[in-house]
Amino acid sequence: MRKILLVEDNEMNRDMLSRRLAKRDFEVVLAVTGREAIEKAASALPDLILMDLSLPDVDGWEATRKIKSQAATAAIPVIALTAHAMADDREKAMEAGADDYDTKPVEFVRLLQKIESFLGSKPA
Amino acid sequence: MDAIRQLMLHNQELREEVRTAREAAEITARLVVKQFDETERVLELFKSANAQRQAVLDAASRISIIAADRHGKITLLNRGAERMLGYSAKEVLGKRTPLDFHLAEEIKASCEKFNGIAGGPAGGIDLFLYYAQHYLSEEHEWTYVRKDGTPIPVSMSVTGIYTSEKELTGFLCAAMDITQRKRQEESLREAMVAAESANRTKSTFLANMSHELRTPLNAIIGYSEMLEEEAEDLELKSFVADLRKIRTAGKYLLALINDVLDLSKIEAGKADLFIEPFPIESMIREVIATISPLIEKKTNRLELSIAGKLGNLTADLTRTRQILFNLLSNATKFTEKGTITVEAFPKSSPAGERIVFKVRDTGIGMTNDQLSRIFEPFIQADASTTKQFGGTGLGLAISRTFCQMMGGEITVESEPGKGSTFTVELPREVKWKQAAGGSARRVEGANVHQKAAGKNGPNTVLAIDDDPAVHELLTNYLRKEGLEVVCAGSGEEGLRLARKLKPMAITLDIIMPGMDGWAVLAALKADPETASIPVVIITIEENRDLGFTLGASDYLVKPISRVQLFDTLRKYRQGRAAGRVLVVEDETATRDLMVRFIRKEGWDVVEAGNGREALDQIAERKPDLIFLDLMMPVMDGFEFIKELRAHREYRSIPVVVVTAKDLTPEERQWLNGGVYRVFRKGSFSREELLQQAREIILREVKPAV
Repeated sequence: MRKILLVEDNEMNRDMLSRRLAKRDFEVVLAVTGREAIEKAASALPDLILMDLSLPDVDGWEATRKIKSQAATAAIPVIALTAHAMADDREKAMEAGADDYDTKPVEFVRLLQKIESFLGSKPA
Repeated sequence: MDAIRQLMLHNQELREEVRTAREAAEITARLVVKQFDETERVLELFKSANAQRQAVLDAASRISIIAADRHGKITLLNRGAERMLGYSAKEVLGKRTPLDFHLAEEIKASCEKFNGIAGGPAGGIDLFLYYAQHYLSEEHEWTYVRKDGTPIPVSMSVTGIYTSEKELTGFLCAAMDITQRKRQEESLREAMVAAESANRTKSTFLANMSHELRTPLNAIIGYSEMLEEEAEDLELKSFVADLRKIRTAGKYLLALINDVLDLSKIEAGKADLFIEPFPIESMIREVIATISPLIEKKTNRLELSIAGKLGNLTADLTRTRQILFNLLSNATKFTEKGTITVEAFPKSSPAGERIVFKVRDTGIGMTNDQLSRIFEPFIQADASTTKQFGGTGLGLAISRTFCQMMGGEITVESEPGKGSTFTVELPREVKWKQAAGGSARRVEGANVHQKAAGKNGPNTVLAIDDDPAVHELLTNYLRKEGLEVVCAGSGEEGLRLARKLKPMAITLDIIMPGMDGWAVLAALKADPETASIPVVIITIEENRDLGFTLGASDYLVKPISRVQLFDTLRKYRQGRAAGRVLVVEDETATRDLMVRFIRKEGWDVVEAGNGREALDQIAERKPDLIFLDLMMPVMDGFEFIKELRAHREYRSIPVVVVTAKDLTPEERQWLNGGVYRVFRKGSFSREELLQQAREIILREVKPAV
């Protein structure tokens, strides 16, 4: 089963998105903070990471940078998600090493397409 | 008889002589009289010229004119001066010097500016003579003091009085009261500061509010979508319809928030464009696919007509899509059982090739009066349309602004009852420069500047000054530091070169003939192409507040030293972003704050919560500077420094201690051996800390230019 690490500090969004992903036959690993994301990325080695950017302790940009700087996790695709529409969030996320970017509220169908484009359409 | 004849002859001769003499005397007398008349006439002329001169001087009743000899003794004081200063001419002529009307400290400070300059004024009257000789009637701001002690701000010029042999015999001070102007400047400055702060507050509020609104909306839309799917699976048809209503309402709310946010970003000058090439036709088809449910709902028909070779457009894809979507959704809103046509074609124009999009509908149309207002924010063609058709009335205002930001335009033609046609024209290749924010912004970090700098720019300083001597001086100073200097002799030329060269920084003189420095600064900051170039004012006029209010990055008062100039300019030099700073601090709030303001300087920041973590960070990549707290769990600052010293390759990293601890003399001494500087928490300013960091980083990191 394909494994997705969902990093999201908002409880409702985390619950909703994880349930919808589970329904689409993804195994979902959850992280609430940036620090936790870095740990879980290394321990669970997911196929893809959905990364909220405004997180407590280490923020999403920093967590992405860290994940991308460590050999074991560098190849995992990261899709950055943010509710911030201000400023150059997209560029900042890309600079931090994210592979793609989407704004919240998530358009689930579009997000699924993005996920599939990274993982290939057939379940592994 | 002979004797008698002889006598008569003699007599005749004498008579002749007397006649001649009388005639000569008469002629002489006539000449003398004539000469006298002439002299009188000249004298009269002179008197009237003098009266005229006096009249001219006195007529200038709003200007104070005071003349003095080389020693400062006043030789002339016009009525304007009497009025301004409250002295009568009689009181001061030959008795006082112009120094008596000035603030002693101002004269002293002004003299000090020329310290170290050969031939500079030693003090007092010398200062005026120096100005008269070197500044050729240039106006400067001074303070006059009235007889009753009231200070008056004046703009004054000092002109030399010379003999025909070109010898300086005195000087003339012409001064104008600028109290009114000062007051206006002050209120303008206050208004600008207030407006800026209000605008910042608004932007921050909107940014926060949008975040706060989007987060729960995310949940509303997501859960309703999820439940909708589940209801479909369970075949609960009635639930599906209701859940869809919740989702639609949520999405509408989201669109509304996005519009308001877009507009506020544009107003705050923070709207960014992301310029990339994309195929035009597929972009149009994508938008049509999104909008088609709306078109079908109103039983409208959609026609797409593409003429010519469309190819790629280099612009902001999201914004272009948004513009087209806005126009189409507008068209469907006001059209029922009609036709909506989308046309796209390339068009050549003097400014280069443009791409034209037309959205035509057969809807209700608009009157001329309505047409004139539809691009205004918050206004729909008719207030009642809001009730009937919904919408924020922001879509068109936003579309127009984005068009303009990309160097294009949007126009509309309409006839009531027949329909409307909206036309959008965009350059085929939108330039990044055109894509700068809607309003001028101050540079806030190296990144912004790097983006703005053009090909020539990164190493070039543009010097705008009317004095060729200053050009030479700046060129000499800065070439030595490896910077290219381009000089402009007037404000107009400066503006042109700034646009052309996109220099890394501009030095700007204030007092220039024609367009003065203030006007140049305002023009630079109002032009999105040049707004982000840092401007350093170099002037003799002390008016920092106005300078900073108008957007200057630095303000130097002449005469300036080489070190001062370079210290100021190198801040703007590219390549400083290469610096990497490690912040070691266990208290999260303090660490976050430090990280944030160090990052703002454009440096890379890594953080550590204690000495152990810091060593891990250093092992991963060596920083150029470490900010270190002393009291930390796991491994404290002292322990950390010991470890650092134990590693040969780490020993050279500069460490700046930032601590709340009261150091004992022993501790202080121990630290002195190994750290660069100790800052006591709460007793230094952020700027001091950054200044220290800049100094170290500049030395440690060679600029990447």
